[in-house]
Amino acid sequence: MNHVGHSGQGIHARDILALVNPIKAISPECTVAEVAELFLGDEYAKLLSLPVVENGRPIGAISRYRFMDMYLKQFARELYGKRPIRSFINPRPLLVELDRPLAEAALHVTENMQFPLTEDFIVTRHGKYLGVGFVMDLLKAMELRMRASADELSHAYTQLKSSQMALVQSEKMASLGQMVAGVAHEINTPLGYVQNNVAMGHELFTQVREMMAEYEALVEELMSVDASEEQIAIRMDRIAEMRAGFDASEMLVEMQALMADSLYGIDQISELVLNLKNFSRMDAAATEAVSLNDCIDSALNIGRNVLKNKVEVVRELGELPKLTCSPSQLNQVFLNLFTNAAQAMEKSGVLRIRSWSDGDSVYVNVSDNGKGIAPDILTRIFDPFFTTKPVGEGTGLGLAISHQIIQKHGGEITVESVLGSGTSFHIRLPLTVAASPARQQAQYA
Amino acid sequence: MTKPTILLVDDEERILRSLRMLFFSNYTVRMTTDPHEAVRILRDEKVHVIISDQRMPVMLGAELLRLAREASPATMRILLTGYSDMDASIASVNEGEVFRYLLKPWVGDEVKQVVADAVAIAEASFAVQSHAVKTPSAARQKPRVLIMDHEETTAKVVHEILGGRCEIVWAADAQHAMEELAKQDVSVVVSDLMLGDTNVGYILKTIKQLNPQTQCIVVTSFNDTSRLIELINQAQISRYLPKPLSRNMLARYLESMLERFHVLSDQPVLQNRQKVAEISDPQEKRQSGNFLGLLGRLRSRIAN
Ligand SMILES: Nc1ncnc2c1ncn2[C@@H]1O[C@H](COP(=O)(O)OP(=O)(O)OP(=O)(O)O)[C@@H](O)[C@H]1O
Ligand SMILES: [Mg+2]
Repeated sequence: MNHVGHSGQGIHARDILALVNPIKAISPECTVAEVAELFLGDEYAKLLSLPVVENGRPIGAISRYRFMDMYLKQFARELYGKRPIRSFINPRPLLVELDRPLAEAALHVTENMQFPLTEDFIVTRHGKYLGVGFVMDLLKAMELRMRASADELSHAYTQLKSSQMALVQSEKMASLGQMVAGVAHEINTPLGYVQNNVAMGHELFTQVREMMAEYEALVEELMSVDASEEQIAIRMDRIAEMRAGFDASEMLVEMQALMADSLYGIDQISELVLNLKNFSRMDAAATEAVSLNDCIDSALNIGRNVLKNKVEVVRELGELPKLTCSPSQLNQVFLNLFTNAAQAMEKSGVLRIRSWSDGDSVYVNVSDNGKGIAPDILTRIFDPFFTTKPVGEGTGLGLAISHQIIQKHGGEITVESVLGSGTSFHIRLPLTVAASPARQQAQYA
Repeated sequence: MTKPTILLVDDEERILRSLRMLFFSNYTVRMTTDPHEAVRILRDEKVHVIISDQRMPVMLGAELLRLAREASPATMRILLTGYSDMDASIASVNEGEVFRYLLKPWVGDEVKQVVADAVAIAEASFAVQSHAVKTPSAARQKPRVLIMDHEETTAKVVHEILGGRCEIVWAADAQHAMEELAKQDVSVVVSDLMLGDTNVGYILKTIKQLNPQTQCIVVTSFNDTSRLIELINQAQISRYLPKPLSRNMLARYLESMLERFHVLSDQPVLQNRQKVAEISDPQEKRQSGNFLGLLGRLRSRIAN
């Protein structure tokens, strides 16, 4: 990788310097298990990849995405846990010398980054490791610079912006999709035998219970004075017949082994889910019976920073029965709707929140008098990654996640908007969620 | 009488143990985590059904099933996998020629039923194999190839490949396709999944009920794994070729499917090897029923 040195260009050095995060690099001798810890820790939470440095020089990077792909595999911990990370790193990381001009650095990064984007870039001074830069930050710096001087940078900027947008998005998509795919496979295998074992166990218990009933009846008949010899003989024949059909004690021994397998499988599934949760930082939410009005209020509370001095909030909350739901997820939905509303207002505006119930469902209406949504994009706002906000400000996931959460609760979320005068979101949540068909589908899918 | 044999292959032993419990009372169960060992067993022993996982470290399931075809052609092949990616599904059709593509977690009774069917079919295949009295039907009719595709390209390519050896019919819409199917049996169907905006899945699923010898080659640019799995199980499509078409592949597939058609015509017992599963989608089931009804009427009219 060539480093175009520009000696004596202090201005440039400051451009890149502003982007450097002084992250502690890891040694190639670090074990895979240690790296896993690091990825899960707070210190590295924002990093797509960890820089690997030896004798002061960067020799590679390990991306969260590639690491996860490897580490979520079965037995990965046992197989690779103690191995040094050296053999798993990308030996050709994105390198940027400190004194390179911003535009050049940006071009260099866009031209050399991998698809999908899974790594941050490494900043060096005279070839020595200095820190890590985020491609997003580079983009933002370029954007700022654009306002100042257009010419020199415009080419690099357009290229960066278009490829970057596409890449950042596809990276999210790809890692999400691949993660789901990989995890689905890893989970379905233990799920396969656990489910089968439990089903067979169930059947076996039925058979054993029937047999025990016969034995008990026999004992009773033997002890009773009323039972005839003939009756007892019939009973014994029946038992002999049953025993010929299946060997209960042998089956129970087998089943005991299968139950041990099942426990192991359940452990594996929980571990996968835990990994997934840690990596994606999405908590499995507990369910509780709460009033949606409480969710609304706590979302208003959390979001008051965004709302204060800008938004006049009108609460028209009706009497609501309690709803069994996951409050933390619904908080998230409301928070996102309120934030969107605030962001749609120029200087100030009114946010009107209404709630009511008809006995079957709970309804919430969130309206604003912001700038509204053009009809041609109205159908796309629930799409993942669809956003009209500048890079770095909106991920475009807010409504997609909200939609998913409402759907998971068996409800609906719809939107109505008039460009220039305002938007309202309607939510309906049923009080009793019909038993989910998910299990059945999983079996046939 | 000895029990029929089934062979289980999975890199996770717990899957093997679990399945053995499901099957041991009715079958002799052989199992291994090693695909190479599986091939040896297939060569040395009479195995009625092989059930294999897809993702294994040494070898992919579709690949193992391809080797199984060579080692023991009469054995019925089933794939049981935890995750279905497009490549795996395509390979399981084209290479593995699977009887069923099943997913984990599975439903015990369903898998038992599939295996019972497969065992019966394998038994019949073994019987044919042992007294292989091939009576090549002397006067063979000119094979008939039906192309169901909105675009003309496919028909053109097939023309170039087969020339005058076959009667080639091109249907650009579902109505025309059904009429052609009604007129006379077809040896090979080359079909896209969409004819204009009609989803022809139900036609493909009905074809095997009309004439089990007919071989289906699906050519399409759609990439939908769950639909492909459905077509494997419910239409027993023989080959799947993504568009844009590779002329060489299509030529190879057409040759082998015409050959297969003749083999099946000579030995009807083997037709069961492509027995289809019941159509799962209620709407398609209705469409298929209507189509069969229509066909009956058309055929009787043609006969008169
Ligand atoms: N109340 C609203 N008024 C006007 N436009 C809105 C409103 N709510 C959503 N939108 C439009 O829908 C788009 C998608 O919203 P969404 O919440 O999914 O993502 P985002 O707000 O852009 O990003 P994020 O929530 O992840 O920060 C927004 O970019 C905006 O254009
Ligand atoms: Mg938002």
